[in-house]
Formats: sequence, structure tokens, C-alpha cells
Amino acid sequence: MKSSENLLVFAECNKEGIHPVAFELLAKGKELCEKSGSALHCLVLGNQDTEILDLQELNIRGADEVFYIKDDCFTWAEECLYKENIVPFIRERNPHTVLFGATNFGRSLAPRVAAALQTGLTADCTNLTMDEDGRLIQIRPAFSNNILAHIKTLSYPQIATIRYKEFQEAERDEAREAKLTVLEAYRKAYEGATVLESLREQEFDITKAEVVVSGGRGIKRKEDLQMLQELAELLGGELGVSRALVDGGMISSAHQIGYSGNRVKPKVYIACGISGAPQHIAGMKDADLIIAINKDPSAPIFKFADYGYVGNLYEVIPQMISGIKNGVQGGEFG
Amino acid sequence: MKDADVKNLTDIVGADWIITDLEQKSAYFYDEIERALRPVANEQSIVVKPKNTEELSAIMAYAYEQEIPVVIRGGGTGLCGGATPVVESLILSMERFKKIIQIDEDNMMAELEAGVTLRELLDELEGHKGIAFPVHPGDEGAQIGGMVTTNAGGARAVRHGIMRNHIKGLEVVLPDGEVLKLGGRLLKDNAGYSLMNLLTGSEGTLAAITKVILRLYPEDKYSATLAIAFADMDQASAAVLEIIKSGVSPLAVEYQDKKLNLETAAYLGLHWPLDEGEADLMIILSERSEAALYLACEQIEAICRKHQAVKAVYAGTKKEQAELLMIRSGSYEIIQELIAHNLDMAVPPARVPEFMRGLRKLAEKYGTRTNIVAHIADGNVHNDILLEDGKIPAFTPDLLKEMYELCFQLGGTITGEHGVGKLRLADLKLQKNNRELELMKQIKKIFDPKGILNPGTVVQIDGCNKN
Amino acid sequence: MNVIVLIKEVPDMDTVRFDTENGRVDRSSAEAEINPFDLNALQAAVELKEQGATVTVLTMGPPRAEKTVRDAYARGADLGVLLSDSKFGGADTWATSVTLAAGIKKLGAFDLVLCGEKSVDGDTAQVGAEIAEILGIPHAYYVEHIQNVSKDSIQVRVEDICGSKQVRELTLPALISVTKNLNTVQLPEIRRKLLSLNVPITKFGLEDMAGHTSQEQVGLKGSKTKVLKIYVPAEIQRNNRIYRDHFNQFQKNVWAELCKRNLLPNRGDQHEII
Repeated sequence: MKSSENLLVFAECNKEGIHPVAFELLAKGKELCEKSGSALHCLVLGNQDTEILDLQELNIRGADEVFYIKDDCFTWAEECLYKENIVPFIRERNPHTVLFGATNFGRSLAPRVAAALQTGLTADCTNLTMDEDGRLIQIRPAFSNNILAHIKTLSYPQIATIRYKEFQEAERDEAREAKLTVLEAYRKAYEGATVLESLREQEFDITKAEVVVSGGRGIKRKEDLQMLQELAELLGGELGVSRALVDGGMISSAHQIGYSGNRVKPKVYIACGISGAPQHIAGMKDADLIIAINKDPSAPIFKFADYGYVGNLYEVIPQMISGIKNGVQGGEFG
Repeated sequence: MKDADVKNLTDIVGADWIITDLEQKSAYFYDEIERALRPVANEQSIVVKPKNTEELSAIMAYAYEQEIPVVIRGGGTGLCGGATPVVESLILSMERFKKIIQIDEDNMMAELEAGVTLRELLDELEGHKGIAFPVHPGDEGAQIGGMVTTNAGGARAVRHGIMRNHIKGLEVVLPDGEVLKLGGRLLKDNAGYSLMNLLTGSEGTLAAITKVILRLYPEDKYSATLAIAFADMDQASAAVLEIIKSGVSPLAVEYQDKKLNLETAAYLGLHWPLDEGEADLMIILSERSEAALYLACEQIEAICRKHQAVKAVYAGTKKEQAELLMIRSGSYEIIQELIAHNLDMAVPPARVPEFMRGLRKLAEKYGTRTNIVAHIADGNVHNDILLEDGKIPAFTPDLLKEMYELCFQLGGTITGEHGVGKLRLADLKLQKNNRELELMKQIKKIFDPKGILNPGTVVQIDGCNKN
Repeated sequence: MNVIVLIKEVPDMDTVRFDTENGRVDRSSAEAEINPFDLNALQAAVELKEQGATVTVLTMGPPRAEKTVRDAYARGADLGVLLSDSKFGGADTWATSVTLAAGIKKLGAFDLVLCGEKSVDGDTAQVGAEIAEILGIPHAYYVEHIQNVSKDSIQVRVEDICGSKQVRELTLPALISVTKNLNTVQLPEIRRKLLSLNVPITKFGLEDMAGHTSQEQVGLKGSKTKVLKIYVPAEIQRNNRIYRDHFNQFQKNVWAELCKRNLLPNRGDQHEII
């Protein structure tokens, strides 16, 4: 039962630092704490020095207290071992609410933790509110993003995973007092699972891109993706693709946008030669601005586009590229 | 076109519905025929878009009086150059004939204006549960009037036959502007010569079609697509013949070269399930009950096993079926830019293996290859002559002639479903004897004495050929 | 080697309709099918049959879900088990996990549990890890490759965990959840499809699972979360300006939008937009 007055945010990190979803969770957490009058705690597991990891940033972003379980056994993230450490921590501190980012790791870790605590979990939330009794109202999409459900957890702690890029990052307040507690690992090994190797090839993360230029079945050859890559680079963005091109062996699935793949929420999404199967739409329909280029005027993608052009992408994209280049030189567009 | 003509036509349809600007009207010059095979359009032609039968009749009467050629344009999805004006013409676009007059559920008939597209008809039928229209030429942008005038076929002809089988009534405008009503919502009508059947497949050379009455059918709710690989073509063909004979009535039976299946699948990022065997069949089933569907599967499976099928798989979900169909229909996009000539011959179904072997041998003889896809149960084979270094090879006419000769030897026809159009005008003489051609010309002259309708299509007569 | 594949029956998401006014999913508008993500798990299991695995599919659902179990048989499963009881109704993910875990225990010894990345209707992706915790076995999510399966361990490669791929070794029994990148789903053979129509399916109700779970732990009663309301959100209204021949017009508008967001290169410059 609800006994303590704190809300816990789990912050995922790796060698590059803290995943930005943690800062978004802190913003939401702060808002909920103000409503319920509780303290905002943050939990990190890792093996790096506190300075290198810049844990103070979590205080600056609003955490009242940061707990860091530091041990070399956390060099590589593995859910079962993390669970073995997070569960006793939660039992000790008794937060009424625990929030995880809905990254791959968070999606795998949170249900394991929730099950161990025999409490409810609401996954992939896009918003949270709190009712008068301090109960969390968790809002999450279902049916491939087609419906929204409001869900209440009947047990404590109330655990939820929250999608990346749903909230603004918490504002920085450097005047805030840093409060960091470093803890010993509760358990240093989990026998059932061992990480043999970590392949650091996947530093590319399309979900972080501000602009995504995507290609679909309209792209005929692997080389032709270069053209989209160029447009993406000119706009400071990244190259995405629909599932067909991944299946066709043109590019790695790290670039795949869709319901099975990466869900992106960039400022601008440019879909080139993508017809707009529901599977793909589910991965990009929340983009701020959507531009579609397709030679088939009946392609469903146009229904989701702010601007569309019916034409051959092999003519349109080079024109757009030279348009940007010339526009910059000549100081004039159009 | 003379200024006076433009003015008079504008008076009929209004200024918004006539196009004289070259850039705008050029979108109305061609159908879907390969670029290399396109007849050359006469760029002086102009586009007129009447809104109803009265306007169309007035335009026709004017053209008749002034002896201006008229090319009627539907959805532009044809494959034999039929819609291209080769002499200075009025292009009569049917795009405003959009009314679905009635879906008559009691008589199971649909009455439509000619410019309604197949897609629009199918969308409308969605709202009438349990009713369907079976003919599907592949491109749903095709207009019903166009499907009538070209007697469209398509993959589903195996069960339902071609367009002709489903046309029950027509409203047409003759070249002199007179409106004629043929047939009606009748299942039996034996009164005299069937002009309706004569106009079906006349490729816009006898009259303009303005309204159509089509027969509708109960919808089959349960479908599956089977993909089956055989060791060779003879086994595949024997199995198809036996399946048809057994009383199973598939919606479609499609053959496509394995090379095309695999390449198209790779291009689309899909998976073609048959890696073994030499001859791949795709059979689409559609039945009113689940039990009937599985019974058909059982019969087909047994027949295919008897003919030593090497692999036989079942696609049951919509998505799985759609993916197989995408591989079958997406192949054209892969070969499109490689084609010098695309053929549409048909032979008696039992001669198909012999025919395919012969076609391959001929291609080999000329040091090239030919891609083959076929509506195999109908005996309708599409094969091609390939470009060499991006150019039409010099041997093309000879190879084409030899392919036709092979087709005739087997009792075949030069076009199973695409029609003569302008592309096969000369070839038709190879197939038909003089008397038959002469009768066709006489008929053309009776309907269109001044020869204003679609000159240079199907038959060539003297008329207002202002070339 | 006993392999259990967890599957779920879902509506075909390409055709299912949503009733915006009443916030309902109109399940009658679409055919029911195996959750597409589960097909990759089933495929992985069927591929393990070459190494002597026996594949059992397990699902919880209403009696009509039997059809989905049969479909799994057609696709290569050896045995099909349906957990069906009116008392299972209204289960949240936790109660579902408890029920499925009880079903697994009821089936006896097993080596590997496979499931798909998520279900297209629930989107929760949490049942797998919860079952693993209940059974006290290791789990891995987002498995894109399976290698070195032995009698007591399995090696897998997982996608993007904290920014990198990992190769992990799990001791058996274990649960793994696979992604679509793991394999290519094969179509069932016609013959097996026909056989599946009459193959016996095992059905367990709550009573059959006595000793493994109880009425308090399953269905609505056993649920830890409660859905307060469901609604169909309004689609984001898009501008929907589609151009065809007027490329310059299109480009001008797009430039203006990009400029507004400071995305055009050399963004400090003054550009004339219109």
C-alpha cells in the first residue's frame, strides 16, 4: 500500500551518458510530485564514475535525490540482474509510483520488475495525470495507435513505461542542491543470463533525429538511397526507410520506420516513394510536419501529409536538393 | 483544329471543359502501352469533356457534320494504343460520366454511366453487403465504358469469363449523334441481331458508350491463394486442366516465370514461397462458405500431388494473399523498361506447354530470351521481346512473325484480352481471312460511314483520315 | 527439447474499424488471425524442430480462438493448447501472465518459451517478461538472432539494448521474445492446413489448472490495473495540400515550412521566401 511520499524515475544510461527520455520523465515526475506533495527520486545503475556520468544533471533537471547503484557488474545492461537490484531498492524506499522510459531496455525491464513486485504495469504511456486520491491515470495508445485508454493501477507501486519524446525535457535549474547517494549493488550476478558480447555498432538512433527523409518501395536500387541521404543531410536529418527496403536487404533495420521498427516523432518527415501502409503510418504519424512524394495519387500516405507532390521521386528529389543548394547560394528560394 | 470548331464546341460544353493547351492536353494522348510501342499522337488534337449524353450527342453530330475524327477516352489503362489520336482528332474524355444510376439488388444489376471507374463501382458495392462484380483487368482506374468497348479480361476470367458475359444493356451514341438503347435489365433477350455484343470489344470504332447495365453476383466471402511449384511446365499444365475438369472453379490460375517471381519478390522486399521446381502456379480461390473453400483446396491438393507438385503452400490471411498477388502483378515494373514488344497471344488451354516451349525456343534462336506470364487456365500468354542495349533489336519483326506463326499453328489468336487497337492493326491481317476482314469493314461503314470514330483502330477504312 | 510458443488471436489491423463515437473497436469488421509478431516466434520454433524440438502453441482466449490454434498447427506446431474459461475474462496483462504461466506449469517440463515482440491490439509487450518472472527463468527481449542452442543453454543476439546489440547466453529453461528481423515467416503447406482442420486441440479451463492458479488470481479479479475509459483519438488534422504539376508552388510551401523550423542550411542568412 501507499506508504511513502516519493515518486521514482529510473534513468537509463550508457557510455554516452543518460538517455534523454529520463529528463522528460523528470519533467512529468515533477509535475506529479507537486500535485501529490511527494519527493522526486531518481535511480541509476552503472559502473562509471559519477562525474563522467554527470549525475548532477539529474538534480539540475529536478530530481530531489539521485540514487546510484555503482558496480562493474552493470557494465553491460541486462534486465534480470537489473531487476535483482531495482526490486530490493523499491522495497526499501517504497515509492508510490515508478516511471521507466519505454526504450527497448525499459520495455523489457519494467514488466520484470512489476511482476517481481506483483504489481500492475501500464506500458508505453503517452501521458500521465493524477486524480484527487493520488492515483495515477495512465494514458496509453493501443490497437497500433488507433485508440487511447485511460488506465488506473489498483496496486502499489504504480509502474509505467513512458514513450520517448512525449514530454518536453525538464528545465535546468543549476541553483538546485545536488543530492547523490551512491549505493552498493544488492546482487552482483544473475546466473541465468550472461552478456557475452556487446556490439557497439548501433550508435545510430533515428528516434532522436529532428528531420527524417524516408524511402519506400519507390526506391529501385540501393545506390538511390544516397539521394535521400543527401537531402536528409542538407536538412540536418537522418535517412529512414519502410520495411520493404530492410527486407530487400538495402539497409539495416536501425533505419526502419514503422510499427515494427522505430517510431519517430521528428519536426519534419519526408516520405519518398512510400505508399503508406498502416504499419508504416503507425511509426511516423506523430511527426510535426509530414511531406509526401509519390507517383501514385491514390497512395494512402497523402491522407497523412501536410504537403504532397504527385510525381516521380527520381525527378523531384534532385530538384529539391539543387533547390536547397542554389537557394542558399542565391539567397532566394522558389 | 479550326478556331470556329473550338468556338462551336465551347458553346456545347462550356469553356471549362475544353482543353487546347498542349501541356495540359498531352496527358490525354496515350494509354499504358510501353513507350517503345506507342503510336505517335497528333498534337493538334484537342480534348472535350461532355457532361452527359445530350452534350456528347451534340458534339458527335457536330464532328460528323464537319468530318472531324473522334477518339473516345476512358481511364487510359489500355495496352494497345487504342486511345491515342493518330490523326488530328477530338478527344472525347468520359471523365464526367460519373453517375452510378442504380445498384438494383432485386434484379442483381448495376446501371452506370460509362465514366465510372472500376474502383468507384467496387467502392459503391462495399455499401451493398454480399454483392460483387467479378471482372478485374488489374487496373482499377479503368472506366466501365472502356471495359465494355475493349471487352476487358483479366486474371479472374477463369471463373467468371470476360466482360462480354456480364453486359446486359448499353446506351450508345452513334457517329451522327443519334442515341440508341440496347438490351436492358434482362437475362434473356433474343430479339434479333445482338448489336450490344457487336459493340462490346469494338474499341470505340462503332459508337460511343454512355451508359452500361452490368450483371452483379453474390459475393464470395472466403478466399485463399495457393502457390504450387511443379517439376516442369507439362506437369503444371496437366494439373490445371484436371483441376478445371474436376469441377473446382478457381477465380484465377496464374503462371509466372520463377525468375520473375524471385526477382520481383526481392525488389518488393517480399518472400516468394516456392524455391524448388521449375513451374510456379498461383491459384486464387473464392467461395461462399469455408467448407467449400477447403473442399476445393483438398481437390486441388490431390490433383497437384498426382502431378508431382514439389511444393504447395496456402496463403489464408488477407495480407499473405495480397503479398503473393503483389509479386505476380509487380513483375511488370521490373521488366517494363527492358521491353521492346509485349505480346498477348492465347491458345487452347491444353496447348499452353507446347506454346511456351516454342516461344522460348524461338527467343533462343534469335539469341535472346522471353519473359512469360500467363493466365494459364485461359490459355492467355503474355510474353515479351526484350530490348538490346536499350534499343529495339532489328530482328523484332521476324521474331514477332515467327511467334505469331507458332500461335496460329496451335489454333491461337494474336490477342487474348488487350485487343487490336493501333498496335496490331497490321497483325490482324495475318490471323483473319479476307472475307472476314471485309465483313468487319462493311460493318464499320454501316455504323460510321464517314469513318470519324477512332481512325486507324481495328480496321482501316477510307474516311476522314486527314493524315 | 520442449518449446512452447505463446500466441494471441488479434483482429486483422489492416481492416479493423474503430467506432470514433463510442470509443469501441469493431471486432466484427475484421477477421481474427494470429498476432503477426507471433508468427516469427512460431517460425523460430518450427526451425528448431530440425534439432528435434517438439513445438506446443499456447494461447488464452474465448472458444473461437481454437481456430487460431489450428492455424498454428498448420504452420508447423505439433500440439495446440487453448486456455479458455469465462473466469479468464477481463484479464489485464498481469492476470494474463499468471494464467499463461499456470498453463505452462500444467504442461510440465519445458526448455524454451518463445513469444512475439508485442501484440498489435494490446501493444504492451509485457506479458513475456512477466511470465518469465513468475516462472523464475531468465528472459531476453528483442531477439534478432538465435545461435548455439544446446541442451541447457541458448545464445541470442538482442537488438538495441541501451544503444548497442548484445550477444547473451541464457540457461534453459528461458523465455525469449523475438523481432520480425529474426526470420522470414513461411506459408503453411496446403496439406498441413487441411490436416489442421480436424486435429485435436487441448483445452484447459480454470479447474484443469487447479494447483497452478486460482480464481482470485485470474481474469478481472486477478487484474492489477483497470481500464477507466477507451476512446478513439481525433486524427491530427493535416494540411493535405497535394500538388501535381506545380512543382514550384509545392517547393515554395515546403521551403517556407522548413525555414519556419530553422532547418534550411545556412540558417543565419536572410532568405526571401515567397
